[in-house]
Amino acid sequence: MSINIRCATTDDLLNIQHCNLQCLPENYQMKYYLYHALSWPQLSYVAEDEKGRIVGYVLAKMEEDCEDNPHGHITSLAVKRSHRRLGIAQKLMNQASRAMVECFGAKYVSLHVRRSNRAALNLYTSSLQFEVSEVEPKYYADGEDAYAMKRDLSSFYLEKNATKEKTNKDGNTHIHTGRCCDRS
Amino acid sequence: MPSSNPLPPKENALFKRILRCYEHKQYKNGIKFAKQILSNPKFSEHGETLAMKGLTLNCLGRKEEAYDHVRRGLRNDLQSHVCWHVYGLLQRSDKKYDEAIKCYRNALKWDKDNIQILRDLSLLQIQMRDLEGYKDTRYQLFMLRPTQRASWIGFAISYHLLKDYETALKILDTFRNSPMICYDYEHSELLLYQNMVIQESGECEQALKHLDKYSDQICDKVTVKETYGKLRLQLKQYAEAVQVYKELLNINPENTTYYARLAEAERHTKPEETLAMLQRYEDLFPRALAPRRLQLNYAIGDEFKILVDRYLRRGLHKGVPPLFVNLRSLYNDQQKVDTIQSLVLEYKEALKAHGHFSDQEKDNPREPASALLWTYYYLAQHYDHLGLTEKALNEIDAAIEHTPTLIELFVTKGRIYKHAGNVQEAYKWLDEAQGLDTADRYINSKCAKYMLRANLIKEAEETCGKFTREGVLAMENLNEMQCMWIQTEAANAYKRLGKYGEALKKCHEVDRVDFNNIYLQHFSEIIEDQFDFHTYCMRKMTLRSYVGLLRLEDVLRAHPFYFKAAKCAVEVYLRLHDEPLPDPTQAQEIDTDHLPLSVGSHVLFEKDTFTF
Repeated sequence: MSINIRCATTDDLLNIQHCNLQCLPENYQMKYYLYHALSWPQLSYVAEDEKGRIVGYVLAKMEEDCEDNPHGHITSLAVKRSHRRLGIAQKLMNQASRAMVECFGAKYVSLHVRRSNRAALNLYTSSLQFEVSEVEPKYYADGEDAYAMKRDLSSFYLEKNATKEKTNKDGNTHIHTGRCCDRS
Repeated sequence: MPSSNPLPPKENALFKRILRCYEHKQYKNGIKFAKQILSNPKFSEHGETLAMKGLTLNCLGRKEEAYDHVRRGLRNDLQSHVCWHVYGLLQRSDKKYDEAIKCYRNALKWDKDNIQILRDLSLLQIQMRDLEGYKDTRYQLFMLRPTQRASWIGFAISYHLLKDYETALKILDTFRNSPMICYDYEHSELLLYQNMVIQESGECEQALKHLDKYSDQICDKVTVKETYGKLRLQLKQYAEAVQVYKELLNINPENTTYYARLAEAERHTKPEETLAMLQRYEDLFPRALAPRRLQLNYAIGDEFKILVDRYLRRGLHKGVPPLFVNLRSLYNDQQKVDTIQSLVLEYKEALKAHGHFSDQEKDNPREPASALLWTYYYLAQHYDHLGLTEKALNEIDAAIEHTPTLIELFVTKGRIYKHAGNVQEAYKWLDEAQGLDTADRYINSKCAKYMLRANLIKEAEETCGKFTREGVLAMENLNEMQCMWIQTEAANAYKRLGKYGEALKKCHEVDRVDFNNIYLQHFSEIIEDQFDFHTYCMRKMTLRSYVGLLRLEDVLRAHPFYFKAAKCAVEVYLRLHDEPLPDPTQAQEIDTDHLPLSVGSHVLFEKDTFTF
């Protein structure tokens, strides 16, 4: 089989954590992975090889503080060095972004990247239409600055509405964009 | 509220302030108010005040005093639900869940409708998988608070987990029609959960009807479609299934499962049909990797040769480092291996001679110089996989000579030595690679792993330290981040060195049954992690994922990480059983520190001195 890209489940989390520890300096305890999977089960994606080993993942979430301007955030993205240059990161990111729009009405997605990480910067700007929104000095534990980046997701919106119009002809339902209704 | 020994109004007001302080984590103030009550000789032995003071002390880390106070309080007021509840909370904080459950039950004897105690009890019951008990408690909570969402959800889940699908579905149906829920995403998740319960009850047609009725209201379109696909296939509605998988492939053409399901829906009987389908998808999604790569699984003979030739050339031309790992799974077919080998050897000769993949192309523009490099690189991995070490080394050396700075080549050279059993030489090449790119943790991790295979534990720790938090020991930081592979590799290294105590210490960092139930290592910790999600998911309504979590935790120790660590520990224990260490003094010498092992046929930890 070739590389399979699919939505992550709780069963993948230990292997995602393993992939993260192998590839990146920013690591998290299992509970943080569980928090992602149990809050936004649609948003994280994995790439697995023919033996079901995780070779890449994107761990994504929604920012919860802004109800009128919902947006997603990429917590972590990694592809094993042994599987680079197959376009996996880009495909993972696009799936996560599509899901953010589809399930949570995200307007844009944000992320942080190390100033020195030119390969990642290049991927984000040239393949994924991210733009630097600001520099966050000393964002990382070792003192390195981060670029805060954003990608507008309106192109995914057009996709979503096109399918919605098809399926939702008698759509007289109240479209909720966030927690607009009072909840007990 | 205080039962057998009520306080007068002034003291009662103080007592209420203790409760409030506890809830708001103002522990010092709580203690102050408790002291004010207890300093009055008339109330110096007041049970509930003593208990609350104890509970507050526990939050300040004064465990022994906490137990003293809570026990004394309970003795003074055995009929107080507060005292029993507090004792339960204290035991719970020490992870003594069975004991805590007993306390809550006693508390409920004196106040059977206490919502807070029932909630706390239900949490422990689900954590301990006392599903019958959980159901009973959720029933009581439901009857007491029928207007709260969590009452309905918990009630339904309790029946679902007991496989009483009918009751679970009835509860969910009634709940869904109540005005308690309206946020889009939550409603959507609830519908998907309900559909999951219907599917698990085995009623495919009901599940399909349910989906037909509600799919408009579900925002997670991928799950809707995946569920449709699965159900259509189960119900043998193949034409509809075809449509669904086509839509799914439009969303994600890199999902290999979708192609397999589409082939199933199209009722392919011969590999040629699947091959043709994949070719159609290659045309439809020229940038997608999966349809091109999957074709190689189905093609045979000349057709395979044509396809793999094109696939290899494309990869070698572009310089795709994972070309070999991407094709490796074809290697269980000897014919395909032969075809690939003859093709790549042909490329090598032609590229060396005139810069083209074959002699027929001499008049075309030349391939980039790197094409030969990637061809050497491919052949090295190819021969290594076939166990032909000499040939593999020749190819990798040719590659290194061609381009002496490519990290991948050093990694591969190291791997060839590793496969040949030369761990020393293997690690040296990985160390070389690591030196060329110190900013890449993947190379760093591989290097550390190879060092551990060569029993170089200290060197491995130092290497890992380049990526761990400054000011903290590398191993401590890795341990905090639950990095299990390194602990297991280190354990095996210690085992090989005969340092059995150290080996066991590493194994037990991955998981240990703790005698004091306080110190929890990775696997136990991950099982503990569930706790907060029992309430969290009911609020979030992510119930499918929640049930997924419960089921994962039930079999968590089936994970290979656990297996490897356990295997190492078992081997060490057996070895120590068969060949006990000669005498205690010598045991102390061999087993350097921390782990006192009793000598004799039984090897046991001495719990009091067992500290990490």
